[in-house]
Amino acid sequence: MSDNTSLQRPPAEIRFADELKRLRADDSGPRPPGWAMSLQAARRFIVGDPARDISRKFVGDPSLVDRALVTLATSRGLMLVGEPGTAKSLLSELIAAAVSGESTLTIQGGAATTEDQIKYSWNYALLVAEGPSTRSLVPAPMLRGMAEGRIVRFEEITRCPLEVQDSLLSLLSERVVAIPELTGPDGMVFAKAGFNVIATANTRDRGVNEMSAALKRRFNFETVFPIPDFQTELSLVEQEAGKLLAQSGVGLPPRRDVLEVLVRTFRDLRDGNGSDRLSTVMSTAEAVSVAHAVGLRGWFLRGEEGTPADVVECLAGTAAKDNADDLARLRRYLEQHASRRKGEQWQALHQARHLLPG
Amino acid sequence: MTATFIGVRHHSPACARLVAETIERLKPAYVLIEGPADVNDRLDELLLGHELPIAIFSYDGGADHFGTASWTPFCDYSPEWVALTTGRATGADVRFIDLPAWHPAFAGRSNRYADAELRYAEVTERLCREFAADNVDTLWDHLFEADPDDIADRLAQYFDLLRGSEAADEGDTAREEYMARWVRAAVHHAGDRPAVVVTGGFHMPALKAMTVTGDTDWPEIPRSSGASYLVPYSHQRLDAFTGYQSGMPSPEYYHQVWTDGLAKAADGLVESVVDRLRRRKQPVSTADLIAARTLSAGLARLRGHVHPARTDVLDGLVSALVSEDLTQPPPWTRRGPLLPGAHPALVEMVAALSGDRVGRLHPATPAPPLVSAVLQELQELRLDREGLVHLDLTDPAEMTRSRVLHRLRVLHIPGFVRQSGPSSGADPVLDERWQLTPCDERVGALIEAAAFGATLGEAAGGALQRRIPDASMPALAAILFDAALCGISTMSDEVTTTLARRVRGGSDVAALGAVLAGVLGLWRHDRVFGTARDPVLGTVIDVTVTRILWLVEGLHSGPAPADTERLRALVAVRDAVLHADSVLSVERGDVRGVARRIAGDPEAPPDLRGGALGLGWALGELPDVERAVRGMAAPDTLGDWLSGLFAVAREEVLTSGHVVGVLDELVHAMTEDEFLVALPALRLAFAYFPPLERETIAERVLAHRGAPGSARSLLRTTVDPLVVAEAMALDRRVDELLVREGLA
Repeated sequence: MSDNTSLQRPPAEIRFADELKRLRADDSGPRPPGWAMSLQAARRFIVGDPARDISRKFVGDPSLVDRALVTLATSRGLMLVGEPGTAKSLLSELIAAAVSGESTLTIQGGAATTEDQIKYSWNYALLVAEGPSTRSLVPAPMLRGMAEGRIVRFEEITRCPLEVQDSLLSLLSERVVAIPELTGPDGMVFAKAGFNVIATANTRDRGVNEMSAALKRRFNFETVFPIPDFQTELSLVEQEAGKLLAQSGVGLPPRRDVLEVLVRTFRDLRDGNGSDRLSTVMSTAEAVSVAHAVGLRGWFLRGEEGTPADVVECLAGTAAKDNADDLARLRRYLEQHASRRKGEQWQALHQARHLLPG
Repeated sequence: MTATFIGVRHHSPACARLVAETIERLKPAYVLIEGPADVNDRLDELLLGHELPIAIFSYDGGADHFGTASWTPFCDYSPEWVALTTGRATGADVRFIDLPAWHPAFAGRSNRYADAELRYAEVTERLCREFAADNVDTLWDHLFEADPDDIADRLAQYFDLLRGSEAADEGDTAREEYMARWVRAAVHHAGDRPAVVVTGGFHMPALKAMTVTGDTDWPEIPRSSGASYLVPYSHQRLDAFTGYQSGMPSPEYYHQVWTDGLAKAADGLVESVVDRLRRRKQPVSTADLIAARTLSAGLARLRGHVHPARTDVLDGLVSALVSEDLTQPPPWTRRGPLLPGAHPALVEMVAALSGDRVGRLHPATPAPPLVSAVLQELQELRLDREGLVHLDLTDPAEMTRSRVLHRLRVLHIPGFVRQSGPSSGADPVLDERWQLTPCDERVGALIEAAAFGATLGEAAGGALQRRIPDASMPALAAILFDAALCGISTMSDEVTTTLARRVRGGSDVAALGAVLAGVLGLWRHDRVFGTARDPVLGTVIDVTVTRILWLVEGLHSGPAPADTERLRALVAVRDAVLHADSVLSVERGDVRGVARRIAGDPEAPPDLRGGALGLGWALGELPDVERAVRGMAAPDTLGDWLSGLFAVAREEVLTSGHVVGVLDELVHAMTEDEFLVALPALRLAFAYFPPLERETIAERVLAHRGAPGSARSLLRTTVDPLVVAEAMALDRRVDELLVREGLA
């Protein structure tokens, strides 16, 4: 644990080890079987508790967190759906860290995900040498989660082929994995109390509509929405971008007025307020990464915080990722809406509109 | 003795329970309630034995319309209602102590019992963050409704905190000062008996401070020309206030809490949602219900509630019933109405929370004179029954009936629906069909309509008047027509001046054309409505014609499909110049000049050029049509240009005969591809002629070519178009073969 500082992104249980320890220490509430802490403590860990100096880590509705936690205490899995960049993965990581004390039992879904990566595979050298045994078995996250009674995270579940998704069916209803190659009691791994699944799916790629009804029925769905409130989003972007910049060795925090322009632009382009809505996802996570890039440009190119001109240059890369129409919409926004806003930074943003490519 | 203050949240069953307990325990001499002081002498009316919810509806009949219309709603579980009934039952002297609804302090407020603290959002936001609640309503449920025992101290603390450093706005300050005078007087007159004060919690800390010292005379009750009446109310309306007008949401749920307690209310809510969903054929399985129940119980425990509270039940239901992504957050996590396209489960949940309970007044409740007058008139005119009514507007007696029905329609009195009839001044329809369906809501709607005027005519006029300031140009024309239908002549001045102003600033030729056509129709023809030759309408006609002429001369664009609406505007201008010459300030010669310039403007769109040529022609100009047609003969402009010409000068084209020959030549000279390009627009253009006239044109074509035969047979082909097309294809192949073999 001593070299945690050199990790690019330590998991939640390491980042917030101190808070978790304190919460576990004064946790008097009843714990569901297999849980590392009570529901109340887990909730406090995620939505924050200023009185106990627990930071607020998820800025969405507290009731969403309540529903998610209670769902995990029942026999249904939890499915987090929403637009990309709405902190679904962060939420699932935080919940897993709070409930199981570990958030690393993770399956990353994708077109190439196979059942091996979900349940188990073999160490083929040992398999050939000794035959199937518990020694030659390589457990994948789902098997480990069941055997140890922990939360398993399944990221981007809808990007997996449907037949791979459906391999979860028996796991979730029977709560047992059969390993036919092994004999005796080792041939059946039963889920211990505390095991459950948090899956995430984004609504842009391939929605949840194609999921089989049987699998849908084994999950409770929670939709995570973009942050509704401007000030909350602004302070979140400021805080996260500040952290990233400090990690990248930038000596100056981002300027708040530049961030205000950035976040307002993102929100306008996301909702289509008074202009067209972009087809690219303008999420808070994107805003943070643009703010990070703006800070980097400012600091390493000129030794300052970054200006609206940097915002425009970075926006071009974000907003016009795969759609020429989006670039046109962005240009229209900078020409017609930015000019009408009051403030020095808005005018600078408007002035920098010619930096857009094309 | 001093006063006992109970700061309440309006429409909170927990507060209502506290109020009842306190009054029964103290048996006070006075019960003072936040409510309109001007109905103090009519409190008995409230206690006649109505079915709640009802509301006191107040309006200002005066000239300056300060407070406009506002409601003071009561339901069974309103703390104010409970204070009123329990106070009376224990023999206390019950008084309303707030300013009347029409007072300037209530300007812009339509719900007296809105949550005052919403207007001071900062504190509530901080509290929500502190308790990790989604919003004020969830916080309130958590703090009070879910645990309604011994809430007096908690309530006082809560509102002290809310009011804290907040200074009230001017209106609230005036109200608090007035209420404090009542409290001081009551305490003084009560002697050694207690007085109980029931007001919105936000006012309570300030009231307490203000009642320590000051004069102790009963305050005078402000009077004005305003009036207040009881109206039946409904849970839906109670839930429909939005923004700063909104109060506690979900009336049906809290009604159940009040009558049956928390546990039963939670069960009732689940039952009602499931029932509604199944009626809509949405599947809800037993497994889902078990899941919902487990989740609700789990959420209640997590949040520390003994019985599942409102949001525990809703959160459990939404988790269990919705198995896809939502397009909007559940409405109980934000305040505000459901947006369109919501998940059916959410829609039914919101409906179950509001419920469809409707109040009913005791028959002996006094109503404004308008109500009985209208009911009597309906009876005399035999319009009080159910069924279909057919009216011939040229018959004066039936015209009277029509006017009454239209007046009721513009006042939005339910149960009077017009199925057919004239739709604008230009519409030559002279009979109407109405569907009448008597219903209970009529009386309530009529009482509220009394705010607009004392007689039906006055009220309808007032209602129309109210629509004027925000109305768009077409809406103003509609108001004008509505006024004509209602037989109201007093208001048209204001409409027409506003309309004229909007017209002068209008830039949409199509909308201006519709207004002109409608107004011109009223001015020319409406002897039925008595608007023919009305000088005020004349002004509108004049302004509109000038504006349209100004706008069309500036329209520039390349070839574009003919715009029928725009051409209708030109037709309306033509009719105005031909038939309403006397009211126009612009001279016929000038109009012809404008037409000539547009017709010759190569930048103008083709349909407009054709239309302008037609306008000049219809107004007596003798244009060189042949030259103009040849000038526009390109396949992509010809049809559109002709649309314009035919739309405005159909008769002139027919009588001249000349045009048809030229057209025949031009079309004949087109190559097949060119013809295919021109065809759709040409078809559209000739659609302006009715069948008989098309036959005349066909005759002309035959005559021009010197070909014998029947014109009618040209228009009615007896052969299947497919056969014709195949024959043409065959011809073409034969031609190609002949060319290839050098035989052509």
